[in-house]
Amino acid sequence: MALVTIVSSFLASAVEFVEAVTIVLAVGVTRQWRSTLLGVVAALAALTLLVAVFGTAIILFVPINVVRLVVGGFLLIYGLQWLTKAVLRAGGARAKHDEAAIYEREIAVLRTEPPVPATGMDWISFTVATKGVLLEGLEVAFIVVTFGASAGMLGPAAAGAAVAGALVLGLAFLVHRPLAAVPENALKFAVGVMLTGFGTFWAGEGVGIDWPGGDATILALLAAYAVLALLAVYFVQGRLANRRLRVTAAGPGY
Amino acid sequence: MRYVRAFFGFWYDFLVGDRPELFVGPIAALFLAWLAVRAGVPAPMTGGLLFVLVATVGGSSIAWAMRG
Repeated sequence: MALVTIVSSFLASAVEFVEAVTIVLAVGVTRQWRSTLLGVVAALAALTLLVAVFGTAIILFVPINVVRLVVGGFLLIYGLQWLTKAVLRAGGARAKHDEAAIYEREIAVLRTEPPVPATGMDWISFTVATKGVLLEGLEVAFIVVTFGASAGMLGPAAAGAAVAGALVLGLAFLVHRPLAAVPENALKFAVGVMLTGFGTFWAGEGVGIDWPGGDATILALLAAYAVLALLAVYFVQGRLANRRLRVTAAGPGY
Repeated sequence: MRYVRAFFGFWYDFLVGDRPELFVGPIAALFLAWLAVRAGVPAPMTGGLLFVLVATVGGSSIAWAMRG
């Protein structure tokens, strides 16, 4: 279970860190690196504190069945949102996440800001970087706390997120470009399946379901959700193809 | 007051957003599963019921998005 928790937390966090890194790079390249990195450090410190306080408090003071019901329920809701969005993206009904385009958009916005001060802190860099990392990082914190608390493995969940953060930040530092080559949409699909599967399992335990097969049921749930999600992608593609055919058959309309 | 509103606004966007059916649906599914457990329905059937309900919520949301 520890390995599964680490892998799930790693994958979910990697996706969010890729999005945060795009904002950090855009701010650093267009404005000032020192203030940008200070903003990143401030946001990471706040997130670590959040995970440590809330994660520990939930594990220590809330009965495990309540944790599994409430936190597992949140995980299920959140996972289903990720999964349905990923299905719509994979089927072509929703625009895919394009880090290169987001990077260009961020740079264009930052160029309209007042110039960087000649000396001292650039508070615009600091604020934009802090806000970007904090907002994306809150999703990481949410996943780490929910995963860690439900499985009783806050340490492995936090470790998975920390490794993902270090890897993504390290890669971005090396290539100095947004990580557009990371298969973000495929990762979101996989993470959506994982969060939905684990959420169903834990929330189910919370309402009193004694899953036959114990923890092994998680694998069956993951496989079943993956198959259904792939079928849903074909459904979406089919509906879009039908719609296009109808438009073509109806002609230009004049 | 502004901060309280912003706090709840953030969590509303985070968990509900523009797809309220994906918030209400899983809660309703868990409630029905809880009722089944209380009624003494065997565990494999209750687990299967929860899975089918969650899958139905996800599938309906996708079908709904395709209609819109």
